[in-house]
Amino acid sequence: MPEEIRPAWSQHFTADAIQELLAQGPFAKITPEWAWGDSTGKGIRVAVVDSGVEYDHPALDDCVRGGVVVEYDAKAKDNYRIKPDDKPADVSGHGTACAGIIHAIAPEAEIYSVRVLGRNMGGRAIQFAAGLDWAIENDMQVVNLSLSTSLEEFFGLFHDLADQAYFKNMNLVSAVNNLPEPSYPSLYSSVISVAAHDGKDPFTYYYNVNPPVEFGAPGIDVEVAWNKGQYLVCTGNSFAAPHITGITALIRAKHPELTPFQVKTVLLACAANTKRQK
Amino acid sequence: MNPNDNINEDKLSEQLQRLFVSIEASGRAILPRSNDVLLKSIVDAAARIFGSAAASILLVNEEQEALEFKVSTGEADHDLVGTMFPYDKGIAGYVFMTGQPIATSNVKEDKRFNQDFAKSTGYVPNSILATPLISSDDRVIGVMEVLDKLDAKSFDMHDMELMGLFAQQASMAIEQSQQIDEIEEALVRGLKRLVKADKSQDSSDLQAALDQALSGENNSSDFLALADLFNEVSALGEAERKACFQVLQTFAEYRKTTSAPRRFR
Repeated sequence: MPEEIRPAWSQHFTADAIQELLAQGPFAKITPEWAWGDSTGKGIRVAVVDSGVEYDHPALDDCVRGGVVVEYDAKAKDNYRIKPDDKPADVSGHGTACAGIIHAIAPEAEIYSVRVLGRNMGGRAIQFAAGLDWAIENDMQVVNLSLSTSLEEFFGLFHDLADQAYFKNMNLVSAVNNLPEPSYPSLYSSVISVAAHDGKDPFTYYYNVNPPVEFGAPGIDVEVAWNKGQYLVCTGNSFAAPHITGITALIRAKHPELTPFQVKTVLLACAANTKRQK
Repeated sequence: MNPNDNINEDKLSEQLQRLFVSIEASGRAILPRSNDVLLKSIVDAAARIFGSAAASILLVNEEQEALEFKVSTGEADHDLVGTMFPYDKGIAGYVFMTGQPIATSNVKEDKRFNQDFAKSTGYVPNSILATPLISSDDRVIGVMEVLDKLDAKSFDMHDMELMGLFAQQASMAIEQSQQIDEIEEALVRGLKRLVKADKSQDSSDLQAALDQALSGENNSSDFLALADLFNEVSALGEAERKACFQVLQTFAEYRKTTSAPRRFR
């Protein structure tokens, strides 16, 4: 059996690579039961910045509360336009897949579709940034970003947006690129960055002691909802991030007093590779 | 008009034709053309490397705002070559729009599964791994797919990473071969401009020959505009040339400083 090689970012989450962490003192008291036991994510506003979310997909049980479409327009101010999208559709299926994973974990979270992908060429990073900006301005509490850009000229803009989100008490959860190269905003420290591991239990995730990628969640051969009422089995870091988004929504619903960095601490304390010393 | 002019023009026209052929040939010598040998060799290699039953490449066709099915190997239907798929349809469309690879499986067993796949790949496979072809300036120029992993039920993360690296190489080759076409076109446009500017003799045949050579896509206008600008500046004088050089150099420096750190490479 040849040694299995994984992409640079998910290699931290193989059985051999996962290192045990120790939680002591007050941190040892943080358990999954305390963190999210009995939580349904009720009332937490979660934005899915992606290809759109199919609002009437059977897997979503009417959890989609609305959304917007961000279009690239070279003639518009700042090169984009935002249109309301009360009954969102999904142009590819990917956003619906993410929303389905979030909804399965946090069934009472309110999902908002922020569609930033479309047929245009060349405006992807601008649309993406504008979609994130919309989520910040519209008081979303958790944002799922299973997208990223590798364009260096957007490093500063996304950094600024990530800081704004952080100071507005929002958690950004971002999938790292599937290719071993930098991607923004997933590599910023205020963002919860996620790669895939091959486990199946949606609540089993790991913390990586060698960041920038911090968390590993299921992302290999995951059954997901897809557009036009369909389902698919998919692989990629894109499908790992929504698991952590869902758990974050659960934590925030149960503990609304927590700040973004406290949420990250709770996530770390409840990671499957954290051992509690009583 | 002197009949000798006609003869001379015919000769010139013939020489130019020969020149175009040799320009094209030199391009071919360096790299195979994007639309045949090169693409075929890439999909053949991809199918072999990833242990898949088939592989295919779709390239962006900006005029049609679609992904054009360019080449396939294995079971995938060769009749599909030339078919256009809108940017926002199917798995290839998703990969094009996000610039991210994706792997899916259980496609055939799943009754709920749809026609988009079949339409975009020629047949309904059990598993698909689709990866963007990204140019050096970060545009998605196409999508490469491998279909049906032979010794497993799905493509894994290892395949996804390797395919990403392979696609980088493929993109470079495709891009370079497209650039050869553009340089060729820019040369012809330059010649056409010279012929037009020469009012001393009738050159309608020659112009027609050049138009014929240009009857493909027009990608070279930026190239030519830049060349014109350099031409203009170089005619101005040394002080102007220096000033222009400094502006360009400052811009290049500025781009370096606005780049993000590469700590995570």
